[in-house]
Amino acid sequence: MPLTETGLKQPVKANEKDLLKINMPVIPDDQKVEVALKHLNELGEKFRSLMLTFESCVKCGACAENCHTYLGTRDPYNIPANRADLLRKVYKRYFTPEGKFFPGLIGAKDLELEDLEKMYSYFYQCNECRRCSLVCPFGLDTCEATMAGRQLLHWLGMVPKLHASVGAAMAKTGNHTGLPKAATVDTCEFLEEDIMDEIGVDIKIPVDKPADILYIPSSADFMLNPNTMTGAAKFFHYLGVNWTISSEIVEAGNFGLLFDQRATLRANCMRVIDEALKLGIKKVVWGECGHGWRAGKMYLPGMLDRPGRIPIVHIHDEVAYYIEKGALKLNPDSITRPVTLHDPCNFGRACNMCDTLRKVMNASVSNFVEMTPNRERNFCCGGGSAILFDDPEMYDLRIKFSAKKAEQVRATGVDKDGEGILCAPCSICKAQLYPMVEEHKLGVEVKGLIDLVGLSLYPVKHD
Amino acid sequence: MTYFILQILPYISVAVLTIGLLYRLGRWASGRIVHNITLTPAPTTQTGAVVDIAAEAILFKSLFKADKTLWTGSWIMHMSLFAILGGHVMGIGLLGLQFYYIGLTSAETSEYLSNLLGTSMGIVVLLGLLYLLYRRMAINEVKMISAPSDYLHLLMLIAIITAGNLMRFVPEWGIHYEPVRDYVAHLLTFSAVTPEMEVMHKPVFVIHLLLVQVLMMYLPFSKLLHIPGMFAHRWIINRPYVEPAPGMPGVTVGGSGHNVSGGHSASGEVQ
Ligand code: SF4
Ligand code: SF4
Ligand code: SF4
Repeated sequence: MPLTETGLKQPVKANEKDLLKINMPVIPDDQKVEVALKHLNELGEKFRSLMLTFESCVKCGACAENCHTYLGTRDPYNIPANRADLLRKVYKRYFTPEGKFFPGLIGAKDLELEDLEKMYSYFYQCNECRRCSLVCPFGLDTCEATMAGRQLLHWLGMVPKLHASVGAAMAKTGNHTGLPKAATVDTCEFLEEDIMDEIGVDIKIPVDKPADILYIPSSADFMLNPNTMTGAAKFFHYLGVNWTISSEIVEAGNFGLLFDQRATLRANCMRVIDEALKLGIKKVVWGECGHGWRAGKMYLPGMLDRPGRIPIVHIHDEVAYYIEKGALKLNPDSITRPVTLHDPCNFGRACNMCDTLRKVMNASVSNFVEMTPNRERNFCCGGGSAILFDDPEMYDLRIKFSAKKAEQVRATGVDKDGEGILCAPCSICKAQLYPMVEEHKLGVEVKGLIDLVGLSLYPVKHD
Repeated sequence: MTYFILQILPYISVAVLTIGLLYRLGRWASGRIVHNITLTPAPTTQTGAVVDIAAEAILFKSLFKADKTLWTGSWIMHMSLFAILGGHVMGIGLLGLQFYYIGLTSAETSEYLSNLLGTSMGIVVLLGLLYLLYRRMAINEVKMISAPSDYLHLLMLIAIITAGNLMRFVPEWGIHYEPVRDYVAHLLTFSAVTPEMEVMHKPVFVIHLLLVQVLMMYLPFSKLLHIPGMFAHRWIINRPYVEPAPGMPGVTVGGSGHNVSGGHSASGEVQ
């Protein structure tokens, strides 16, 4: 592909072998256009939100200055309306009367192979954060166009290697990092010892035990953010909850939402309720993961193959509830470092969680500083929809996407003494913000919200 | 030609508009709301959602929060355009006597007020449109996302408004309410327009009417679909959502984990 010639930035694609692992055949280049049109029509006809986004945009440009990817790169295709236009132009050309008869006038165009490559580049530069939808006068959702675009590309066998391998690992082990059961149990024991060393309390992290509560942690909490996992354990232990995690689903994330909202999304949803059934669970409590909770809360009920009767809630909501009930004795004075909060977009704009986050935060720490804009108007961290690519070109983009975030953090002043905490209660946010903090040289430490709850619940004694 | 524009085209344009809109709305309706993509914070009741959507439609709430300059231009443009549409109904239907009929003024004052409002709104909407056109050409981002048709829509509205304003400002090009009312009555009763009718001899009126009809015919095939589109899409993303009830079974504080939050369902759902 003459991609370097056209200057398109693209994440490394999954090869034929990777694709087979997620049950996708490769469509040869000479058939791609034809197959793409067929699927585009199906997607447009099925999703009303998508068709409306195609047909009602007035090109007012209100979305432009509100997308951090455009703010960070000034690449015209990162203007949300233009991003959606990659699909819209083609859709109009083939499936609307105006596009069939007056393509030039309304800006419709024939689909070519090169356009698909362009879509692959720019749909994987969208964080699916929906800030564009928030500001659009009609609420048109470029995230829907991105999701449809990625679905289309997936069906053509154009998936980033990262997403495909995560999909494959999930299908095989029930988590994104490919952790087998033995490793999960080992890590839990290790974390239990850690807690013991830290606070001298014997707290267990039960695996595969029949229980009332199934906790769905993010697999990243077993390696990158162990304090989130131990924080949750402390919370459950404190209340005396009969809880467990399941080695079959040590994963709060659901990459199906991000590249394949059919088979992958559904399989991951079913996995949760299957495991809950097996362990006699009464309620599922979800861990810290923005897109994962969006999938679990908003998408899961519609994706299941059988009625989902077990309620599913988020750990933040539970913590907030018990704080309100006065059941948790938190020690906010034990965390005096200045803390600011990054509202994960999926929590703010898709899951109604802004108030909850503040309830928990204010009860857990003593020096909380809001950043602006915040709540549902917050900007994405730049890692959303797991575009956490490591190849130098894409990594560079990631850092640019986070420029707005860095500016926001700096403006709060929490980083002044190099002592600040940047709370980001989402695994993908965390994975994005660790390097962001380095590259933009911010004096803050990235932590989850449940980490802070854990610390505040069982303060570490320094004496 | 005048005869065609005044007597035949109106039926064609209304038919195209109606059928076109039904075609578009029908297509939208056949698509599904597949996933729950409610934008939060969301209201918890239907009434709340209706209030939100009304605030969007009447006040352009989201746009106000996002871009004050664009909000000012577009809100003024849309509201004056809406006022003018209403004014047409009042002027032609009630001959500008609406304020008299509701008992506010005398008949003469009512007509005077009606004219004054019509004329001033005509100028305001023109200014609004010119601003939007300027903006489309001057702001780089907007320029980069514009297709030729985006400019044409504005030019078309400007042409329609200009013709209307000319009729207001140049008395011999203008036309009074009565002859237009007679003409509309003819159209509605499917009776023939006769050559001596005044509407047949007012070229600016004919042009104004022609342009409006052209607009009506392309409306269902253009971005002007944003008028119904806004309601259709807001209906998807601004819906009520009820939070799942918090509380874990087996924990002594705070209930059993079922229905502990004031009758709300145990698992969250769209109302
Ligand atoms: S804000 Fe909405 S209508 Fe305006 S250009 Fe963006 S998507 Fe289109
Ligand atoms: S969803 Fe976010 S990243 Fe994607 S176009 Fe909209 S604002 Fe930009
Ligand atoms: S990674 Fe975090 S900030 Fe970014 S889209 Fe997900 S939730 Fe939003």
